[in-house]
Amino acid sequence: MDILIAGVGGQGTILASKILAYAAVIEGRKARTGETIGMSQRGGCVVSHVRTGGSHSPYIPVGGADLLLSFEPCEGARNIAYLKKGGKAAINTASITPVSTALGLSAYDGDKMMKYIAENSKAVFIDANKLAKESGSIKAVNSVLIGAAFGLGVLDLSEESLRQSMKKNIKPSFLDLNMRAFHSGVKEVEEMRTKC
Amino acid sequence: MIFLKEILLGNAAIALGAVTAGVKVVSGYPGTPSTEVLESVAQYNRDGKIKVEWSVNEKAALEIAAGASYCGARSMVTMKQVGLNVASDPLMSLGVIGTKGGMVVVVADDPGPISSQTEQDTRHFGKYANIPVLDPSSPEEAYEMAKYAFELSERINLPVILRPTTKVCHSSGTIEVDESRFEDETEGFVKDSKWVIFPPLSYRRHLEIEKQQGEIADIFDRLSFNRIEGDGKYGIAAGGVTYAIVKDIIDTYNLNVILLKSGAVFPAPAKLYHEFLLRVEKVLVLEELDPVIEEQLYHVLAVNNFHKPIFGKLNGFVTPAGELKFDNTLKIIEKFMGVRLGNVEESIGTEGIELPLRSPVLCAGCPHRASFYAVKKAMKGKKIVSCGDIGCYTLGNAKPLEMTDTCLCMGAGITIAQGIKKAEPDTNAFAFIGDSTFFASGMTGLANAVYNNTDINVIVLDNLTTAMTGQQPHPGTGKTMMNTSSPKIDIASVAKALNVGFVEKVNPFDHKKAVKVVQEAAAYQGVSVVIFEAPCVTLFKSEEVCRIENCIGCKKCINEIGCPALYVKEGKVAIDDTLCNGCGLCKNVCPTGSIK
Ligand SMILES: Cc1ncc(C[n+]2csc(CCOP(=O)(O)OP(=O)(O)O)c2C)c(N)n1
Ligand code: SF4
Ligand code: SF4
Ligand code: SF4
Repeated sequence: MDILIAGVGGQGTILASKILAYAAVIEGRKARTGETIGMSQRGGCVVSHVRTGGSHSPYIPVGGADLLLSFEPCEGARNIAYLKKGGKAAINTASITPVSTALGLSAYDGDKMMKYIAENSKAVFIDANKLAKESGSIKAVNSVLIGAAFGLGVLDLSEESLRQSMKKNIKPSFLDLNMRAFHSGVKEVEEMRTKC
Repeated sequence: MIFLKEILLGNAAIALGAVTAGVKVVSGYPGTPSTEVLESVAQYNRDGKIKVEWSVNEKAALEIAAGASYCGARSMVTMKQVGLNVASDPLMSLGVIGTKGGMVVVVADDPGPISSQTEQDTRHFGKYANIPVLDPSSPEEAYEMAKYAFELSERINLPVILRPTTKVCHSSGTIEVDESRFEDETEGFVKDSKWVIFPPLSYRRHLEIEKQQGEIADIFDRLSFNRIEGDGKYGIAAGGVTYAIVKDIIDTYNLNVILLKSGAVFPAPAKLYHEFLLRVEKVLVLEELDPVIEEQLYHVLAVNNFHKPIFGKLNGFVTPAGELKFDNTLKIIEKFMGVRLGNVEESIGTEGIELPLRSPVLCAGCPHRASFYAVKKAMKGKKIVSCGDIGCYTLGNAKPLEMTDTCLCMGAGITIAQGIKKAEPDTNAFAFIGDSTFFASGMTGLANAVYNNTDINVIVLDNLTTAMTGQQPHPGTGKTMMNTSSPKIDIASVAKALNVGFVEKVNPFDHKKAVKVVQEAAAYQGVSVVIFEAPCVTLFKSEEVCRIENCIGCKKCINEIGCPALYVKEGKVAIDDTLCNGCGLCKNVCPTGSIK
């Protein structure tokens, strides 16, 4: 299974990818991730690739991802080419407008971008920032989104291995808060699914 | 032996390989994508038996590892590719003198480039210095190669270069960790004239080392890092992570090709290359950066006096610059084999949607923004050239600050400014340099300015850390990688000791004072140094945020300082409280006092 995680530098995509990859290792599989570390972490575009299907290289081909997790609507749209036709997506609706937009150098239309994602994938849109804050910290956006992915029913990982992986990769003092965030993501998506 | 399965970044895998091989001294200077190698060694060093240090620069780091190796201790030095330019002087001589304890030089290359000044290829340095080069294709192989590199180095008494690239350093794989450790006693330094480089010794060693190259190539012919796989008419030769990508393509499309994997790449495994070339009708060479394997294959053809068509960078078949990813590699393979395999064109495009530019920026609350703004205000209307340097503050080039007119390499700002001042005496030559860069390569340039009476203005951006590469300590912080403290070296005192006539330290967020001090520095005849001291926001997260009330929507705040926390909402400016750090810089800009 190939998962592409997109976001803005500083949002914590790397931890999300590590949690997913390690959960696959707990299930006895081999996993790989490919990260963006460096200059882009200062508010630039970042992506993490997670591959659990025994590939040799860490990077997902264009049109190869089964799932797109995006921490930000515009970065979701920017990376939609990685998604398989009809692939699933979980998108955080909280936008981060780039400085270029504030300066009037490029336009940012969040609604248009989300509409484009909706037309081209099976996507759910959730305010992960809000759910993370309600769980105790804005930093828990990654756990909300992992929860949303799990709630979508696309992950080939059990809840138990995700829990164990979170336990291994998150500082003990932040674990409870992140577990709450995970469950709020699961619940949000499940409610959306029953509605439609 | 206990085996644990871990998800490890390539850099952590290299660190663990070195720890398993019993490394005793590890030195380095931070640089993307190499930084996490040394940081991971420090993490694994729970009992403190390994001496780990961030050195002041790569030259110092390499010499420290060499000294330890002279004593028989296994040592490792880490850096990014441009770091090896700085360390090339000791490297070239060490290739002549040789080593005793296994010594591994980890140099990370950055195809793209993604976070570097240049797209240089370290494999050339191996050839230049007659030092073997190992080029891993995955984190798993990087782990194996790191362990092997120490053995090889001890067998041949030469340092060994381990050259991962970004896609190996910053990708992770599933690694079975060997908990056992290689152990041996360090013999200590044994006095011998062989450690003292002199022309006659260099001549003798040159003869020996050239002979040794053939012996190492024979070892590499039989090494499993180099191998021929598969069957077919056509051949593909690949190295580094490109091998992994080609393997994925072969698996995905069930291709029949003979694949040559080149992992121990210098000196070339010539017999294996020969065997490969005999078996194929034509060859495609896929490697990032320079055509190193490709030239080696041409060499084997020439030496053995036969011909096979080779497609690669040298005949323009493969792009000479940038990364090889799955999709462009697939296109090249399709063209080479005359088949159509993928359907990338049919994937979901982004043509139907307008996407805003999102370049990296200085963080909200970054002290560098305040420093640049103070200099900009102070020098308004005056003729000024702002010579930048390497660090987070290079981002001061972006709109709206536009306060970086030159950037070349680490430490160059201070010296480029001197050249500009000499050629154009009526300009105000400013040099901006970070604290870590100051210790790495700024001090000599400053001494040069004082010695040669060049009237430049140096602005030291002291954010108390090496921020760009992920907050490493440096001599000004007094913190070490052994969890100990050392006396902090004070930059102002260094400048004074170098006889700089004007030295002032000021907090850049104290805007009025900052502007005044810069004006005084510019007026001063001679070298001036202003140290803007305020911590990087990643070192302390302020709980305070600013708010905007009764904004008139003039956008002056955005247009003058461009803080990423400021955004436009229904014609008015608002502050994103998840980003704002309450630094208060924007308050100095707002004409209506709307920012609280
Ligand atoms: C020769 C060389 N070595 C290492 C690097 C990697 N590097 C980029 S910026 C930087 C240091 C930046 O620290 P500092 O000068 O304190 O500026 P800051 O990022 O904290 O603003 C380093 C080591 C490089 N570009 N060139
Ligand atoms: S106080 Fe103003 S300049 Fe400082 S971080 Fe907040 S919005 Fe940006
Ligand atoms: S990491 Fe620190 S120095 Fe770098 S941009 Fe952010 S605040 Fe500035
Ligand atoms: S400078 Fe003041 S008034 Fe003008 S847009 Fe910014 S906050 Fe509003």
